[in-house]
Amino acid sequence: MSAYIFDAVRTPRGRGKTSGALYTTRPIDLLAGLLEGIRDRNELDTNEVDDVVVGCVTQVGDQGACIARFAALQAWEGNSVPGVTLNRFCASGLEAVNHAAAMVASGLHDCVVAGGVESMSRVPMGADGGAIFDPAVQWKVGSVPQGISADLIATLDGITRDEVDRFALDSQQKAAAAMEDGRFVRSILAVRDENGLPILEVDEFPRPETTLDGLAKLGASFEAFGVQFGLDTLVRRRYPSVDRITHVHHAGNSSGIVDGAAALLIANEAKGRALGLTPRARIRSVALTAEEPIIMLTGPVTATKKALAKAGMTVDDIDLFECNEAFAVVPMHWMRELGVDPAKVNVNGGSIAFGHPLGATGAMLLNTVLDELERRDLNTGLVTLCVGGGMGIATIIERV
Amino acid sequence: MTTYDNDALRIAIDDGIAVITLAMDGGFNKVNRVLLEGLAGGLDWLDAQEGVRGIVLTSAHRDFCVGADLEMVLGNDDPALMLEATAALNAITRRLETGKPVVAALNGSALGGGYELALGCHHRIALDTPKSQIGLPEVSLGVIPGGGGTQRLPRLVGIQAALDVILQAKMLRPPKAKQAGLVDALAPDRDALLAAAKAWVTENPKAKQPWDTKGYRWPGARPASPDARNMFLAASAMVYKKTAGAFPAAEVALSVVQEGSAVIFERSLEIEARAFAKLATSPQARAMIRTLFFHKTAADKQKGLPHVEDPGFRKVAVLGAGMMGAGLAFVSAKAGYDVVLKDISTEALDRGMAHIDAELARLKHLDADARAALRARITPTVELEGLRGTDLVIEAVFEDLALKHRVIREVEPMLAENAVFASNTSALPIADLATASAHPDRFIGLHFFSPVEKMPLLEIITSAGTDDHTLARSLAYCRAIKKTPIVVNDGYGFYTTRVFSAYILEGAQLVAEGHDPVLVDWAARVAGMVVGPLQVFDEVTLTLGVHAMAEAEKYLGVASIPGAELVKRMVAADRKGKAHGAGFYDYASGRRKGSWDGLDGVRADLGVAATDGSVEALGERLILAQVAEVGRALDAGIIRNWRDAEVGAIFGIGFAPNTGGPLSYADQRGLPELVAALRRLEAAHGERYAPARTFVEMAEKGETFFG
Repeated sequence: MSAYIFDAVRTPRGRGKTSGALYTTRPIDLLAGLLEGIRDRNELDTNEVDDVVVGCVTQVGDQGACIARFAALQAWEGNSVPGVTLNRFCASGLEAVNHAAAMVASGLHDCVVAGGVESMSRVPMGADGGAIFDPAVQWKVGSVPQGISADLIATLDGITRDEVDRFALDSQQKAAAAMEDGRFVRSILAVRDENGLPILEVDEFPRPETTLDGLAKLGASFEAFGVQFGLDTLVRRRYPSVDRITHVHHAGNSSGIVDGAAALLIANEAKGRALGLTPRARIRSVALTAEEPIIMLTGPVTATKKALAKAGMTVDDIDLFECNEAFAVVPMHWMRELGVDPAKVNVNGGSIAFGHPLGATGAMLLNTVLDELERRDLNTGLVTLCVGGGMGIATIIERV
Repeated sequence: MTTYDNDALRIAIDDGIAVITLAMDGGFNKVNRVLLEGLAGGLDWLDAQEGVRGIVLTSAHRDFCVGADLEMVLGNDDPALMLEATAALNAITRRLETGKPVVAALNGSALGGGYELALGCHHRIALDTPKSQIGLPEVSLGVIPGGGGTQRLPRLVGIQAALDVILQAKMLRPPKAKQAGLVDALAPDRDALLAAAKAWVTENPKAKQPWDTKGYRWPGARPASPDARNMFLAASAMVYKKTAGAFPAAEVALSVVQEGSAVIFERSLEIEARAFAKLATSPQARAMIRTLFFHKTAADKQKGLPHVEDPGFRKVAVLGAGMMGAGLAFVSAKAGYDVVLKDISTEALDRGMAHIDAELARLKHLDADARAALRARITPTVELEGLRGTDLVIEAVFEDLALKHRVIREVEPMLAENAVFASNTSALPIADLATASAHPDRFIGLHFFSPVEKMPLLEIITSAGTDDHTLARSLAYCRAIKKTPIVVNDGYGFYTTRVFSAYILEGAQLVAEGHDPVLVDWAARVAGMVVGPLQVFDEVTLTLGVHAMAEAEKYLGVASIPGAELVKRMVAADRKGKAHGAGFYDYASGRRKGSWDGLDGVRADLGVAATDGSVEALGERLILAQVAEVGRALDAGIIRNWRDAEVGAIFGIGFAPNTGGPLSYADQRGLPELVAALRRLEAAHGERYAPARTFVEMAEKGETFFG
């Protein structure tokens, strides 16, 4: 059996600060708004939904206590739909989709809503603590902040500051063009207040005015951590020959901190027909991989390979790619390793321009690639993200 | 001294301190565009002045500022415009609190938006006068504070203390306000008030709001702490117990305090504003504001009613020393009248005077001498002679026409020339009573509610023979005892008793149909009724109900329904009500326990088919049974003024305040839909639901009561 995507929606992303537009909106409301949207757009009898699977990384405070279930209760009549909230770091949103697809494809479920939510303005990254930076883990496993991993990849690959800045500028320009062209209108549901008045209607984070000169002026974000605090040293347990990391990433060429949510309606063909819905795409294959956690961010390479192999495809069989711009170097490294044509990658900009609402991004990227496949009338798309702890994730879809 | 003035205020700068005196036209300062633009203009002017060290904000009127201009609120049903209005107020308070030191010198009441303005100052000093009230009453009108009150107060006094004020719509006298932290200091007189305010400005040249100060810590439980979480959970339960979900304002206020506490202060105001805009533009809040504020105020001011300044009442007599009679004697004496309390039994008089003593003991603000003087104004007597020279007599004897006739004939000759004879009957037609009177033009119905010390309403009934001067004098007495009057025409049960009877009888009918009293009473509360019908029935006693039903049948020819038969059977089974320890409910030492488990036994053979027992269906029946009766009162010409139908229902019998009253309910439902609903219920449950002619005609013409 196959799992199909019938609908996909997302909120606009708001700047993840106390001055951001979505700061005053609780994450449960971001998510519930989308669940209402999914219901209304598809005239969906929500009692037919078997589960709501939601990716969310920082599950404390406003995002604690299984936000998926309470968003479903808040959004939908009846109490019949369960919810589960899962955390696979930055892959959580795509993990939710893959999880839903697995349940549907296996026949265990017929219809699942999958998505993600993260209000980084309200629940700061790292607020959930964890063992990740405990000294004991450091001695047994090894662990550095992600920015140092990103700069390590740039160092190993010989990618320069100018190259990452150019990549970032490109992301901003593609994003600006896509917004200008109204390419997201179909999938972005405005966040509204209790009066129905819009709180945020379009992505708030992009800076179309970005210039190369402006980017060049920004100080490297992890220089202080790496050099002054000496964290760069920690990579040597795995990379003994790296005695100096070139710090190239900064706020302008890394993913932005934002608030947002996404949701997709996933079901098998028969269920879709019974609900009177038309499938938009089939989930063709999914992959998870993991490698050592200090380099951490090269997972997209292995995950892409694995997903392609599962689908019996090659890189050339994919029409459009979304590789999450956690840091500029991530998609750059990934393209080099796999020989992907940059013209097919993140064609409407990525997380550098729009921001990366951790738990929601994977689902947003799948939504983005599906919209663009339809707009260009192409068939196959692949979404991949790097993931904390050295993991990688990928999903291949094809239009039907 | 440099000065400035505009439509809203005047400013005088003396020794570097600017005193802004709010002085709007009409004797009251209200938060509206005039005030906000006036304040903005004043602050602009102040910015251009040299050497201003700080500001004192006060008022030229008796009150500081009594809140938002509610006419402006009612004039705007667009949430987007409402958001703009709140943004304008927030901009002013934010500008005040982030500028030079500013002290609110509260020379009188500071309520709602007026108090929120004061919260936007760095320090609040209140004139200690018993006339003054301070607080946030918005929730009682179906809205929430919309000018920062739900955000500044919790940050000032702590979440728990702020919730106490906001959720209970508290208005506190200055000493209590100081205790609760709503004001920082009290001043004995106006000069001291201004002096203290100026001194504070001088002593605090760098004043800042706590929430704008680095290292600010919440007083009491910090938001998102386990303590705060428990507090919000407990407060949710407290709110729900009170509202049964029928009054969203309290619920919204609680969530806005919580949501706002989770974000930085400046952004919290947006959360409050959005919620305020939604409530303030909701039909429910607008109906509540119209009735609970505008209609209530108009009734209190006796607008459109005949007026005499002095009714010429010096001596008031009350006949019958039961709880009602004693209460009437007490409130009359409190209003300054010389009172005779007459009964035929000395034991009854003793009980009545004991009741008065108990009430006196509650007047904490009076000293022993004042209490003694008040008591001395009341003369208990069993002698008819004691009534000689009485200007106003109110009879509160048993509800029996013959008895009342006898009393009228006996008493009238003793009264002063031009005396007014009032009957406190709750149902008997005044014209029928007046047949025993030699002066039917000076005969009137004054229907009080029990306990009269607490219940705010006075239903005044004029018969065709009552003259306007007698009404005017009665209204003057009403003013003196500080009751809210409604004036209705004569007819059995007048207005409130008819509607009240329809309510409790429908409650009994639902029980006869097999529903549990617990569920019926809860359904009433969910529909907004202040008290469930069966709880009230037990309180007024089923015996009284049986008596009243017999009378009603005599006068109105009301067809009997199984519910009435049930009540008769319950009386026969000695289930007479709370005072007897047994009614629809069981009671143990005066406390209500569960429903009576013998109900099935008495209702089994009533031959009633099972009906919809959902909370919604039960609630609708209880409301519509009353609305149908209000319609018949309209048809019968009982109601002289629609305003009184609303005020009387809510303040007299606890009709769902969330609706704004039965006629507002009709408007919100839409008259065509109301008529249709009544016809459906008529078909299913009987003619008591038949829609009144007035409703049908208005529905056909597309009319509404209040727009």
